Formats: sequence, structure tokens, C-alpha cells
Amino acid sequence: MLITGIKSRPVYDQLRPLPGGIRHLVAGQGSGGRAMLRLLDEMPEQGMQTTLLYSQESFSGLDFLAELQQRQVAELRVYPSNQELVADLERILGNARMGTRLYLSGSESFIGTAMQVATHYDMNSDEVLREHAGSFVRRIWCVHCDSYTENVTQRVFQCPGCNAMLVVRDHYSRRLAAFQAVKADAEVPGELPEAEELDT
Amino acid sequence: MSLSNGTLNVRVARIEAVTPEIKRFTLVATDGAHLPPFSGGSNVVVLIPHENGTYRNAYSLMSSPYDSSAYQIAVRRVEEGRGGSLRMHEAVNEGDVLEILRPVNLFPLSKHARLHLFIAGGVGITPVCSQLAELRLRGTPFEVHLAVRGAEHARLGEELVREYGDAVRLYRNDLDQRLDISVVVAARPLGSHLYVCGPESMIQDAIDSAHAQGWTDSHIHYERFLEQGSVGEAFSVTLARSGATIEVSPDQSLLEAAEAAGHSIPYLCRGGACGECETRVLELDGEIVHTDDWLSDEDKAANTKIMPCVSRAKCSRLVIDC
Ligand code: FES
Repeated sequence: MLITGIKSRPVYDQLRPLPGGIRHLVAGQGSGGRAMLRLLDEMPEQGMQTTLLYSQESFSGLDFLAELQQRQVAELRVYPSNQELVADLERILGNARMGTRLYLSGSESFIGTAMQVATHYDMNSDEVLREHAGSFVRRIWCVHCDSYTENVTQRVFQCPGCNAMLVVRDHYSRRLAAFQAVKADAEVPGELPEAEELDT
Repeated sequence: MSLSNGTLNVRVARIEAVTPEIKRFTLVATDGAHLPPFSGGSNVVVLIPHENGTYRNAYSLMSSPYDSSAYQIAVRRVEEGRGGSLRMHEAVNEGDVLEILRPVNLFPLSKHARLHLFIAGGVGITPVCSQLAELRLRGTPFEVHLAVRGAEHARLGEELVREYGDAVRLYRNDLDQRLDISVVVAARPLGSHLYVCGPESMIQDAIDSAHAQGWTDSHIHYERFLEQGSVGEAFSVTLARSGATIEVSPDQSLLEAAEAAGHSIPYLCRGGACGECETRVLELDGEIVHTDDWLSDEDKAANTKIMPCVSRAKCSRLVIDC
């Protein structure tokens, strides 16, 4: 069941200054702060056109807030959760102008949900870069009850939404920003596939 | 509808002069049937017979994509061209039957745009007409900025103003109303798309202005409005697959010469833009005069590819892979 190199999983970039931008939004979460700092080093002239958005939610416990606070930028906005950052990003993009560049760095779940917002505002690959940070824990969408579960690392797990035992498929949906999971014992109730560590 | 060897037979139902230089042709199927559907920004290739062959000129469809009973195209008279548009103006009459190809769209609307901005000059407004009809149904906001020379050139623009009101702005050169593209593209919301159709200088100005405001290329679309085909010195070319050697006369493109000799090379735009006709150069003794917008500068310098719809050669020998 273990499949490496999942085709539907996005291929991530490395953050680097995108040419031509007149305003830069750099958004990251947890260990993604490291890539944010590296990017800022590469664009010293653009500090005053740059807004940082940082969420302290972290799977690994890493926090780069203190270092980000040292940087000369137009604004640093800090959030306790990824969800609050993404909600604010939505509001910011709603008022943003052409010429904006967006840089994302963090977990797959964070990047995926932020990309949903960026895509809604028709930002294309020449305006957005995404760098993955930390482990590839998965965000899961349950096909039965439509609920999302963060940070799943096991092939078989119990859905907190509908309590069904689910098996995680190796298909990533960009539209949902999640991997799909389906009932594990639909054929023979009670008969579960082998539990295994996901290719995270 | 009448489809013979891939072409459609249409009857010219109406010809109107819309400006001193532009005539609008309304085309209907010869058997009164519906014409194939198209999307906003499409063009059709019209086969224009002349003494020693056929010109194939592409013209934008300007009628509504939701009306399949007729197509409308606008033809600008180009005095210095090879004569395709002149024949359309002088030799074609109402009631005549023309052969055309099915519409293709090389200038489509962006599906996810939040705002569409159109910049056009003169006859460049024609592809925009069908795009606006499509946008009206979708309900996405748009603005049209159209520059014309003077009152008698403003008729298509005035029709659009009547149809779409304030969303269409006319700039008349004779009244010193200047279209400042850098103002049009400034401070636009995320997800805006720019479409430019007009003379080369206008396209360049639009691209430069948008770049200066931080726009990326994925939001900038343009269509060059040139008399189709190519003119220049005669040359000869060998088609490797059949071994045939073809003479390209000064008023023919390589593509047209090949077609006249019974060979077919794939094409869509016939204007050096779409890439469809790209052909490998197998042997060359001399140089290629690249006039397309498709090949990269490196490719052009390497002389290993040619776009037969527009480019020519100054050479003693040219063999291409078709
Ligand atoms: S036919 Fe489009 S580039 Fe030649």
C-alpha cells in the first residue's frame, strides 16, 4: 500500500524573490519561518514593500517569531493559528492590487489552504511561490461526513467527524487541499487493512 | 451546413462600410443551417481566390458567440498589403459564396479573471466585440479602452457604447483624447487580465506599462493585427518528406506556396503567433528571416526551426522537415 512519489501531491518550490513585484506578502507557519528569513535576506531592498504574516501554530514546536521581529519590513502580523492567518490573507488579497507577489512556507495543509485563497483571487504560478517545511503530515478529507482532520500520520484512523474507520488514499486534491479518506471496512465490516505509517 | 473538404461554404448576406477603411461582412450558411459555435476572440480563415492561387486570411469574428445563425467579420482595407483585403473590399459582393474554415480561438478570455481590461486601436476592436458578448452572459466586470483616429472611424466603438454604456471608453485622436495605458493598468485589483489588440506600438506600450505596475505575463494577452502572410524576396525550399522543391514567390508565404503545390503544413493563426506550423530546418545554406512571435531568440539565432506561415529565407538551399 505504501506508494512513494504521489503524483497528485504538488511539487513545491524554493522561495526566492519573484521579479517585477511592487508589493510582497510573505506568509508562513511554524518551521516555515526559516524559509521566510532566508527569502528576506535575498531581497534586502524590498523591506518596505513587504508584509509578513506568521502563524505560531506548529507541529514540530519550532517558532521563528523572535527572528522575524528583527527584520525591517512594512508590517509583521502574527496569528495563533494557521486558520486565522489564512482568513486574514483572504481579506488582504481581497483589497490587494495587481503587482502583488505571494510567498508561502509551511506545512502542506497550510500551503494548500492558503493556495485555495490565492487561486480564488486568480493568482498564477508567476505570482506565487510555495516552499514546504517540516514533515509531510497529511490533511485528510472524509468522503462520508465532509470533515477535515489535520496532521494525520497513519494509514488507518478513526474519523473524528463520523467515527468511521478510514483508510487514507494517496490522492491529493488541490481543490480540497487535502488527501481523501474512505471507509476502511466497507466490504467486510470489522476487517481493517494493516495499520502503517503514512509516507508523510 | 455545407462542409466540403474541411471548409464551410457561406453566403455573404450583407456588406456594410463601418469606417472609410473597414467593411463588415455578415456571413450565413448557404443552406440556411446553423454555423459551428465559437467562443469570444475566435477568428475564421477566409479563402480568397486570386489569379495564381488562394490567399488564406484570418479575420476576427465580431458577432455574438450566442448567435449561430450568422458570422460577422470586419475587414480592413490594407493598400500596401498583398491584396487579400483589397479583393474582399472590391471583388466580393452581397450574395457571393465564400469558403471559410471553422473558427479557432487564439485570443480566448481568461476563465478565472475578476476584471477584464481591453485596450484596442482601430480595427483591433473586432475580437473584443465577441468577447464582450460572452462576458455579458458571465457577468464578470470589464472595461474597454478604444483609441480611434477620428469621428468617421468611431462607428464600431459607438455601437459598443450604445450596447455596454460606461464600460466602453472611446479616445478620439482628432479631439486630442489620449489613451494613457499606464493609467488604465494602475492599481487594479488582483486577478485582473489585460487584452490588447492593435498596432505593434500599442501592444508594446501596454506590455511595458503593465510590467512597470508589477503585472506578470500570465495576466497579459495580446493579438497582433497585421495583414496576414508575408512578402519579400523569392526563394526556394525543399520539403524533405516528399523531396519536392517549391518556389516561394515574393507575394506568397512559404506556407501558401506549399499549399498551392498541394502539400499541407499544419497551421492555425497564419500570423506567426500560435506555434502550430513550427517546422524543423534540416539543411540551410544562407539565412532565415524570422518574422514570427513564436520562436525564442535562441531558436531564431540557431536557425534550426522556421515558422512557414510568416518567415522567409535568403539562401541558396533550404530543406525543411515536412
Ligand atoms: S500558423 Fe500559427 S505560427 Fe504559423
